Amino acid sequence: MRIEVHALSAKVHRVPLLQGISLHIERGELFGLVGPNGSGKSTLMRCLAGLRRPSAGRVLAEGTEVRKMPARDRARRIAFVEQQADTTDRLTVREAVELGRTPYLSPLRGWSEEDAAAVEAALSAVEMTAFAERLWHTLSGGERQRVHIARALAQDPELLMLDEPSNHLDIRHQLSLMALIRDLPITRVVALHDLNQAAACDRIGVMQGGRLVVVGTPADILDEALLAEVFGVAATRSVSEGGATHLHFSHAL
Amino acid sequence: MTMVAATPRLAARRRLWFAPVLLGVAILVGTAIGETRLPLMTVLQTLANKLWGAGYPVDRIDAGIIWSYRLPRAIVAACCGAGLALTGVVLQALLRNPLADPYLMGLSAGASTGAVLVTIAGVGGGAVSMSFGALGGALLAFACVILLAHAVSGGAGGGRANQAAAAIILAGIAGSQLFNALTAFTIARSANAEQARGIMFWLMGNLSGIRWEDVGACIFVSIGGVALCLWHRRGLDAFTFGADGAAALGINVQALRGSLITATAIMVGVLVSKVGAIGFVGLVVPHAMRFLVGTRHDRLVPASALAGAVFLVAADVISRIIVPGQVLPIGVVTALVGAPAFALILVRGARR
Repeated sequence: MRIEVHALSAKVHRVPLLQGISLHIERGELFGLVGPNGSGKSTLMRCLAGLRRPSAGRVLAEGTEVRKMPARDRARRIAFVEQQADTTDRLTVREAVELGRTPYLSPLRGWSEEDAAAVEAALSAVEMTAFAERLWHTLSGGERQRVHIARALAQDPELLMLDEPSNHLDIRHQLSLMALIRDLPITRVVALHDLNQAAACDRIGVMQGGRLVVVGTPADILDEALLAEVFGVAATRSVSEGGATHLHFSHAL
Repeated sequence: MTMVAATPRLAARRRLWFAPVLLGVAILVGTAIGETRLPLMTVLQTLANKLWGAGYPVDRIDAGIIWSYRLPRAIVAACCGAGLALTGVVLQALLRNPLADPYLMGLSAGASTGAVLVTIAGVGGGAVSMSFGALGGALLAFACVILLAHAVSGGAGGGRANQAAAAIILAGIAGSQLFNALTAFTIARSANAEQARGIMFWLMGNLSGIRWEDVGACIFVSIGGVALCLWHRRGLDAFTFGADGAAALGINVQALRGSLITATAIMVGVLVSKVGAIGFVGLVVPHAMRFLVGTRHDRLVPASALAGAVFLVAADVISRIIVPGQVLPIGVVTALVGAPAFALILVRGARR
């Protein structure tokens, strides 16, 4: 799904959260959003997903303004994995993934083979089929995040948005989750804290103080000067033989 | 694989015939048992006489007790149980708070205040019935709570739906305290000892004044409530991971929350106005049913309505027979039975 953002601003009680953001995301792209805490990543994600009304500007998905899409139609095309979505309900993994079919069901249209197939496909895409009957509260953080992604995939979306999906995960789960996200064949927008993970995105946007300061490929923009200015850290950059960017942080400036 | 997914749901659907049967039995038993115990056969014969003029010879006093007092009472008890349990289901789902029930929203407190103002302080000058006062009080308290919640969440900013839920609960606590204080104030100021005793009885729930003219409204709101909740079952499911999660799944959170909570308020207002403030049903029954049938609302809604109905009919029977020659407020029974049962459920659930 192609996303265009035109001069987007958002504010809470006259405090600006986002200011004049313009951006476009191509079909099939893995787009990373990075920036320090409070730079506006989550707010921008919520605006892109149509969950938050901007105070000015527009977000277009394939030419249609997301805020003007009927909620059900939007949920069939855009899936959103929140930063910390938890529940105390005793539900199984399968039931959690089945929630992703909500936009396809109505009070009169019941569960169909197609819905069941979408749920199975989503479970197998995140390799959680064997966990389908496990209860939610018995899952580890990494497993829960996989189930959230499966729920989002069951929505059969054209755009998948993930807000800091690898937060609170150990390093092994972080890497396997990012590998999973990288291999998904749809447009993805991922807010990330870990800059080395961001380096694996097709393109990244760097946010600071509610503004999008720079957009480009990791190799082009993730350099020592940017890291010092935006993130306030001293770092060195190396490029491995495969062309991947690696950042080594030494100290806070 | 798809068959595996479909089977539990189909099995649940096949067991649905069991619901009206159980409910019917509960109401019949509730009608038969009381201070004077009547044989179930007499109850059935009386019903047959009244419904299609079967012409069985039944004692006229027995028939009068059954038809004019006990049957409407049992039906209203069932309706109230179903309605209060549903309210708990809806509020717990939409507000994502396991403690949410009609009490928490200030509904019961407002109804009490309305009833007390009419009966003791003489508001309305006799032109307004206690039921009407209770309904008015419930809706007024609800409006106060919603307005306060709106002001609070507006102040917190961001339009985040989860914050709005927390604001409603905090506002509900404030509203409950305020209206409970108003009730106590009115009683202390205006009531004599006899009135105070009477109103305390009503505040704990009292079904003894129920006649046929009360039945229609109760049946209407409880069946309407079940239908509305079943219609929105997927919307209620979608709140599993919070209000933002529901919004991302294509649910119009504000509209669904507004309409269901308002419907709930009307339902509780009507029921409480007939029988007084019965506690614990809205809290306990949904939790108990979640352990039995799971958290999905296509099963949870009918199961909770049925269990609430049966529970309250049983509680009413117990309230009539546990102390010979005296009728306890039904709220005392629901709490005495419900609290330990609830504790047991929680402990067993945690071990599973």
